[in-house]
Amino acid sequence: MEPITTERQLLLPRGSSSSDGGLAGPHWLGRPAQEYYSAAAPEIQVQVPAAKESPIEVIGSNLSIGAEIFAAGINGALNRSLVVATENIPFLKGGVSTVGWKPARVKVETFGLTFAESIEFLPKPVEKPPSEKLEKLESILPPQPPALAQGEVAAPPKAPTKLKPPKDAISIEDRLFYLLQPPLQTWLAGQELIMPFEPFPYQYEGIAWLFSHNEALLADEMGLGKTMQTITAIRLLVRSGQVRRVLLVCPKPLLPNWQREFRTWAEELPFVVVEGETDRRRLTWTMPGVPVLIANYEVLVRDFPTFAEGEFPKFDLMVLDEAQRVKNRTSRTAETARAIPRTRSWALTGTPIENRFEEMSALYEYMRIIPPGGTPDLRQLQTLSKEFVLRRTKNLVMTDMPPRLDREAILELSPAQRHAYDTAEKEGVIQLNEMGDQITVQHVFELVLRLKQITNWDPLTGESAKFDRLEADMEEIAASGGKAILFSQWTRCLDWLAGPMKKYGGLIYHGGVPHKQREPILKQFKEDPNSHIILMSYGTGAVGLNLQFAGYVFLFDRWWNPAVEDQAINRAHRIGCKSQVIVTKFISKDTIEERIDRVLQEKREMFAAILGDGDGTNASLSLTASEIFGLFDLKARHGKGTRSIGPK
Amino acid sequence: MSDPGKRDHFRLGFLTAVEVPEKGFVGGLLVTNRFGRPLEFQCTAPVKANRTQEILYGATLKPYLLAELIGRTLVDKVAVKPHVVLTEHAELLDLREHVGIPVACLGGAPGARTMKLGNQQLTFHLDHSGDQSEIERHASDVPPEADLKEPFDRVREALNETLKTVKT
Repeated sequence: MEPITTERQLLLPRGSSSSDGGLAGPHWLGRPAQEYYSAAAPEIQVQVPAAKESPIEVIGSNLSIGAEIFAAGINGALNRSLVVATENIPFLKGGVSTVGWKPARVKVETFGLTFAESIEFLPKPVEKPPSEKLEKLESILPPQPPALAQGEVAAPPKAPTKLKPPKDAISIEDRLFYLLQPPLQTWLAGQELIMPFEPFPYQYEGIAWLFSHNEALLADEMGLGKTMQTITAIRLLVRSGQVRRVLLVCPKPLLPNWQREFRTWAEELPFVVVEGETDRRRLTWTMPGVPVLIANYEVLVRDFPTFAEGEFPKFDLMVLDEAQRVKNRTSRTAETARAIPRTRSWALTGTPIENRFEEMSALYEYMRIIPPGGTPDLRQLQTLSKEFVLRRTKNLVMTDMPPRLDREAILELSPAQRHAYDTAEKEGVIQLNEMGDQITVQHVFELVLRLKQITNWDPLTGESAKFDRLEADMEEIAASGGKAILFSQWTRCLDWLAGPMKKYGGLIYHGGVPHKQREPILKQFKEDPNSHIILMSYGTGAVGLNLQFAGYVFLFDRWWNPAVEDQAINRAHRIGCKSQVIVTKFISKDTIEERIDRVLQEKREMFAAILGDGDGTNASLSLTASEIFGLFDLKARHGKGTRSIGPK
Repeated sequence: MSDPGKRDHFRLGFLTAVEVPEKGFVGGLLVTNRFGRPLEFQCTAPVKANRTQEILYGATLKPYLLAELIGRTLVDKVAVKPHVVLTEHAELLDLREHVGIPVACLGGAPGARTMKLGNQQLTFHLDHSGDQSEIERHASDVPPEADLKEPFDRVREALNETLKTVKT
């Protein structure tokens, strides 16, 4: 028996016909006949012979239909045998058509980025055990969370610091480069780069920010670790193959400091200091394969012109430390710094503005953010600062740092000092008045200096109210084992103080001390328990030194610019200081010192009001020429009376 | 200055894919050194199955797209070959059938042999029992505190960044 595949079966009552091919009943039924079959479904069995011309034989059927449902008198007809007719449907010509599908591997488009090969350095030949190494380092720990009370839940770990693409990274490759770098904590924490101490969270942010900026001004307040952040960012850039030659320029007194910090924070990173005779320096400048060159400003200015145009080596990164040195755009230092061929330009300073807003323009010009000679207005400077300047203050980030306590010691001059002072001022003013319009700021300045010196001590009698107060304080400090830093603007004054301060182990550190002796002096001050005071000049000791073990700072006389004073104070009040720092500012009553202090204070308040950010240290203005004239009531003869003289 | 002996240090591949509505799947493979520093990154354009593929592949469609199509393409494409390809999804383990590099999935599976690499347990393809032994030889190269989940975040972030450049 073969299955019926191409034939349609028609079940029709004898004598009836169907036009639609369905199972039709009599027209008066209204519905197909099968709907009336209450018994089992009708079933017909047929036999189809192989030869299509032979008739089909019905071999059985089960079409019993209850007759009682019909009342039309034709039930008998329904019980008759059915006639089954078939109709042939021919095969399609050409055989059966099919739709085929086979899995095929499609080509997938890809996009790729290969990272520059990093520089690897040979490990040090003799690796000291970590314990031995750490003994030599001052332990600086990040703030520890307070102990948890019972039932208290520990705070979740801090989010890792991710590198973010800078805004000027347009291409997808540049952006992916930053996004695909590991979090800084992972990168630095004891894996590829060993860090002697765990950086603070804000330092991680600073490192990440520097890493992703080709032009950057890191203007953190003094003492927040600009040096460490810069060295670590350089280290990451070198290790990731982004830079291969770095030039770091700093003031000469800071060269030992930078060398020491490089050894601490990037021990595997070779550096060379540009120093020595001309030939040696020339060799150093052109020496290949040195990742970091450190030079001071003077050497840079001296050596750059000795190279023919286009011959000076090109650097991938140039860093200016104490970048306020280039604030005067037309100075040789600034012009030379701008001319050094480089790809990236960073500047470091805790005092981006010392006197005028325009000083920022000089820094931006060095960083190639503004065109040569460009003079952006205040609003434009603010916009640029948001993108290219990172500044944090201690108040913002070091909320748990020991406080700095400033106290002004207003001192009465000793009788001999008072006499000498009044005489000098009276004579000086008379002389200036007699000069009339010939007077210059230099003349006034000389008088100010002479008077300030007398407030320090009277050269004739040797009397000094400041010294008396200092000695009283030092007795107490020495007795408690404390250490103090004293700042003065005159090396002569420091030398004078050195004698009586010997009993407190006094040391001297100023521009007259040879460079080779400076590091041992600092070391002795730190390690010798009998050395309780170091006498420093603002010019030499105010920047870059780490003296956080000193708990006392004396400003024996006041500098013209509070920013410089702050820098000096921050030698002691910086990260790592374990106790409060007491700052004593000596001011002689009813003298020029009091007048200068008042002028500066007014200016500081005005600056803070304009900026409105409460950043007092940013208000670092010094005296202008007209303000220096204003310190004295200078009057030239004018007809029958007098008139004020000096710039308006 | 470089140390040629260290050049061939253990390299890891981090393979993952993200599904983008209306666009299909985008896959990325990040090859890093043993400390997680990136060496190479490759990603695909969005791959979307057509209706026929959806019907005929049924439940096997996603493993096919991720492992055979995206994973294999990326592993073939990278110039810096990883020593092991890590995934977050067990269904990507089938990639091992198409590439000659060990493939491991983060996390353990019930009854499966696992090994520890960094701070993660790894499970390997059952039909490639030799893979685990091979990677165990390098296990000490990876610092035990290394977070092997973190690089996947980077890949996803990079894929999202790349998608911004895809025409809609």
